[in-house]
Amino acid sequence: MKTLHRPLNPRRIGVLAFHTFTQLVRMKVFYFLALFAVIVIGANFLELPTHAAPESSGVELLYAIKNTSIGCMSLFSIVIAVVATGLLLPKDVEDRTLYTILAKPVPRLDYLLGKFFGVAALIFVSLAVMDLLMSGVLALRLGGVLEQQRAAAEAFGYPPDLIESQLAETRALGPTWNLQGAVFVVFLRAIVIICVALLLSTFSTSTLFTAIVGFLVVFIGFFQADAREAYFQGTGVLGRIGSAIMTTVLPDLQIYNLIDAVIEGKVLKALDLLKVAGVTLFYFIVYTFASWLVFARKEF
Amino acid sequence: MEHAVEIENLVKVFPAHFGGRPVRAVDRVSIRIEPGQVYGLIGPNGSGKSTTMKALLGLVAPTSGTCRIFGADSLAVDSREQVGFLPENPYFYKHLSGAETLRFYGKLCGLRGKALDARIDELLELVDLNDARDRRLGGYSKGMLQRIGLAQALIQEPRLVILDEPTAGVDPIGSRQIRDLILALRERGITVFLCSHLLEQVQEVCDQVGIIFRGRMIREGRLEDMLAIEDQTELVLRDAPPELVDEIRRLVASADGAELVRAGKPRTTLERLFLRETVDRAE
Ligand SMILES: Nc1ncnc2c1ncn2[C@@H]1O[C@H](COP(=O)(O)OP(=O)(O)OP(=O)(O)O)[C@@H](O)[C@H]1O
Ligand SMILES: [Mg+2]
Repeated sequence: MKTLHRPLNPRRIGVLAFHTFTQLVRMKVFYFLALFAVIVIGANFLELPTHAAPESSGVELLYAIKNTSIGCMSLFSIVIAVVATGLLLPKDVEDRTLYTILAKPVPRLDYLLGKFFGVAALIFVSLAVMDLLMSGVLALRLGGVLEQQRAAAEAFGYPPDLIESQLAETRALGPTWNLQGAVFVVFLRAIVIICVALLLSTFSTSTLFTAIVGFLVVFIGFFQADAREAYFQGTGVLGRIGSAIMTTVLPDLQIYNLIDAVIEGKVLKALDLLKVAGVTLFYFIVYTFASWLVFARKEF
Repeated sequence: MEHAVEIENLVKVFPAHFGGRPVRAVDRVSIRIEPGQVYGLIGPNGSGKSTTMKALLGLVAPTSGTCRIFGADSLAVDSREQVGFLPENPYFYKHLSGAETLRFYGKLCGLRGKALDARIDELLELVDLNDARDRRLGGYSKGMLQRIGLAQALIQEPRLVILDEPTAGVDPIGSRQIRDLILALRERGITVFLCSHLLEQVQEVCDQVGIIFRGRMIREGRLEDMLAIEDQTELVLRDAPPELVDEIRRLVASADGAELVRAGKPRTTLERLFLRETVDRAE
């Protein structure tokens, strides 16, 4: 029985995470998905003014579907990561449900991890559903676009290998593995934001404060790499240390910008994906440790 | 012998907020509870009862002094294995039903499978919430919440149960059920540490009582010893004719040094009257 109460018991974390997940589901978070469906299917019917040559017509439509879908995924994942995470802890303190949980043999680290994985699971499931919807719509439209392009190219009398290479280019704009990679990067970015919100909510007791500061940190995160460059450029060792501290305290979200490149049809390199995953893991460990340090000393 | 609860010289000072003065909520309180006993902590509002209980559960860290549960320090997670806690004014997750709530807490204690199912059924029966088991807690009344809280505290069959005002907001019928439950726990050798403002109930169930005032323990001891008025004796008679009463009066008057303090009809309590008119009538 004794070993049961060491921190990091997967079963107990699983119970807490599953509970957090259900709690959020019953708060009707998934209604967001219906809205998403409307937006994606709406983007599908956009009649975009086209300036492209007839043999590459329809490409804008594929871009538009991807852009709106990934944009919605980003927005959804960031909002849920900040708001849901920021809501959970203060709510437990306010409702005193925290007393009853911590009065059971539950290490505080497990409690925090349970909240983290619950929100992460919710975002993962939502992104998976959105991804499925986006990929379906894309695949559907891609078939039509390819046929149209082939017909146009053949009418112009292009040589077959040219036609094939052009169609391959178009195919890269469809539901590729690359695109799935980009959605995964959206998820990784959400993980960092959950960690930030969790850390914030360990020392604030107000949801509003957590939400506002959380969004601020996200906002700064998108620009801080530029700021860092401007500040610490050519300042030597001290500057590099300062720069390192800054990226640790405030997460650098610019590294997740390779999502945009993928939408453009560029290839997502395995190494880049690995690098981003590594950075995410680093932020996860640093922020969770910091949250635990604050939370372990907290009194209720 | 290992004490069920051992609080030694507990001091808890809450730091000042916004220029106020620090609050000395608990001041050198020591409490020892032997296994199997029912201990009642009583005192006015804000005297530090809840704070003492929270320190015992590791929810607040003592400023100085130590708290132990069956020998394990309260700051260690292991100490919470053998204890069930019902906080004051409990609110649980509104989105869970009664049965789901018990399942959640049971799983946190490491229970699972058939054993957990059986335990949930048993406890819902015990606290009389079987009809409401699938209703969400958002729709529970205060007394129902209190009872689901009690069930939650008992989920892993702990050896020590800590109850912070278990009968607050519960109607007299429910509060009698809770009293009977506490007596049943004592019967099974489970230690109970409770605090309450209903002194009559404390008197009915507790072996030991401590009176706490402004964070300090003022009186502590066995209830019988504390309540007995050493130089008085009570006689309660039924269907005594007036002549008999007169006779007794005369005897007392003629005895040396004895004095009749009071004679008359004992009153029933409002609680007993309420119960007689409601439950006992229904039965
Ligand atoms: N978190 C806290 N921060 C600051 N002061 C606190 C905190 N918790 C309790 N106190 C103070 O400690 C004192 C004791 O409070 P406690 O809740 O222990 O009283 P109590 O005996 O349980 O009262 P009641 O009968 O009203 O429940 C009070 O003066 C209260 O204001
Ligand atoms: Mg209290």
